[in-house]
Amino acid sequence: MKQGRYEICLSGSGGQGIILAALVLAEAAGILEGMEVCQSQSYGPEARGGASKADVIISDEPIDYPKVLQPDLLLSMNQEACDTYFQYLKPEGLLVVDSSLVHQIPTNRVVAIPFTQIARKDLGKEGVANMVALGAVGVLSQIISPQSLEDALIRRAPKGSEDINRRALHAGIKEAQAINLKELPPFITSEEEEL
Amino acid sequence: MVERVLLKGNIAIAKGAIAAGCRYYFGYPITPQNDIPEYLSSELPKVGGTFIQAESEVASINMVLGASAAGARVMTSSSGPGISLMQEGMSYMAGSELPGLIVNVMRVGPGLGGIAPTQGDYFQATKGGGHGDYFNIVLAPASVQEMYDLAIKAFELSDKYRNPAMILCDAILGQMKEPVALEEAEEVTLEAKPWALDGSKGRKPQFLKTLYLSDGEQEAHNLELKEKYDRIREEEALFEGKGLGDCEIVVVAFGTVSRIVKTAIQMARKEGIKIGMIRPITLFPFPASIIRETAKKIPRIMVVEMNTGQMLEDVKLSIENGVKLGFYGRPGGGIPTPEEILKEIKVMLDEEGF
Repeated sequence: MKQGRYEICLSGSGGQGIILAALVLAEAAGILEGMEVCQSQSYGPEARGGASKADVIISDEPIDYPKVLQPDLLLSMNQEACDTYFQYLKPEGLLVVDSSLVHQIPTNRVVAIPFTQIARKDLGKEGVANMVALGAVGVLSQIISPQSLEDALIRRAPKGSEDINRRALHAGIKEAQAINLKELPPFITSEEEEL
Repeated sequence: MVERVLLKGNIAIAKGAIAAGCRYYFGYPITPQNDIPEYLSSELPKVGGTFIQAESEVASINMVLGASAAGARVMTSSSGPGISLMQEGMSYMAGSELPGLIVNVMRVGPGLGGIAPTQGDYFQATKGGGHGDYFNIVLAPASVQEMYDLAIKAFELSDKYRNPAMILCDAILGQMKEPVALEEAEEVTLEAKPWALDGSKGRKPQFLKTLYLSDGEQEAHNLELKEKYDRIREEEALFEGKGLGDCEIVVVAFGTVSRIVKTAIQMARKEGIKIGMIRPITLFPFPASIIRETAKKIPRIMVVEMNTGQMLEDVKLSIENGVKLGFYGRPGGGIPTPEEILKEIKVMLDEEGF
């Protein structure tokens, strides 16, 4: 794997399954791949609709500072989350957005995939958009094998939902594998800086 | 066999308690520690234990006192305002020499404050907290692994010295998830507690009490307690030392802050600045002698805390004259960044002409 500390921030709104996605990611990296991992989250008091954010730090060394400082990868599952957290992304970090819900994208260094639309139209269940996104995040981070993600998902998914979640994960993996990261600009640059 | 699992800090404490043979939990909900009662409410009955959500923190701690008096391994958990309500019961436990674990996942104060991480309850935890001349044994974990390990350790120390023990942590440690190595649970055999009030059939009746009215009786009791605290100070102080061999300055930090300091130490090494760290793992007993001895060799100490300077006082009492002592604190939910800590250390070294 990549050496050193890799910070992933998953953001969206309550009810989108952000925290479950983070948990599966942490389980895959920390338990199944045996790396060091530290996962934390913050969310509003609302059961649905409030802001939701989960941090996953993955490293091959012990993790001291337990919070994400500057994400290497930011997933934003809605516009508000993208607007709020984009500013913290590393200059060479990668933005991943749900293009069904994020329409104003602040950088060209972005992977835009319609996770929610794929979940609704192709899989028939909007609720698994988080797993579609997780599949893509796993591939784009380049530090976790799809197999570990799938195994972690089976361990953590609610009983009876394994199959639909597994299909969702693979839909996301397939989308991300079709993307060539080398074609993206190497740095995020805001429009103001370009002027 | 060691099993590696991804656990939230609060859950790790609860699992550690069960592994230690704790079978009784009495508590009242408060953020950010609710995972502990939530988990134990379903898990304790499975191992033959009892979970009760009491009507208040005052009731909780007195249930803990009662179960402990009957010889059980027992615990409660709370945060700031709830821990304050428990102080009377904790004083009674210390007075009647009853063991038990109290977990404080600190929240900011004073008053209702908020749920953000803090170390503002250091004084309350380490200086007794309730009325009377007593101390709690206080353990300060810095990782989810230690939340598990120190929960077990706390019960052992608590029983060994017949004294309440506290785990003092914050919302970061309580809420984050890390891999934890769990030893395969062995059958726990607890040492006999001949002082317990478990029915006097076949033996002489005995009692546990905190009221001493005859002349000199209370004083003798307090002196016995002091002798016990001195033994604890002598034998149980725990710390982690890092980079103390070749450093220019030593940071003293506990819990969450010690992790941030470690990152600052790494950043500093890249710039050629050598920083060491002493992390007290027990806050009572405070590891005073390692700090005193280290400061003789490296007479520059910086204390970093998430409060306005509480452990700072214990460090001051540990060192001798002539040691330069600095402090950096963020209270009220502020979390220092490694950059901030490094900057403060550099300022201190610059003043010294380094």
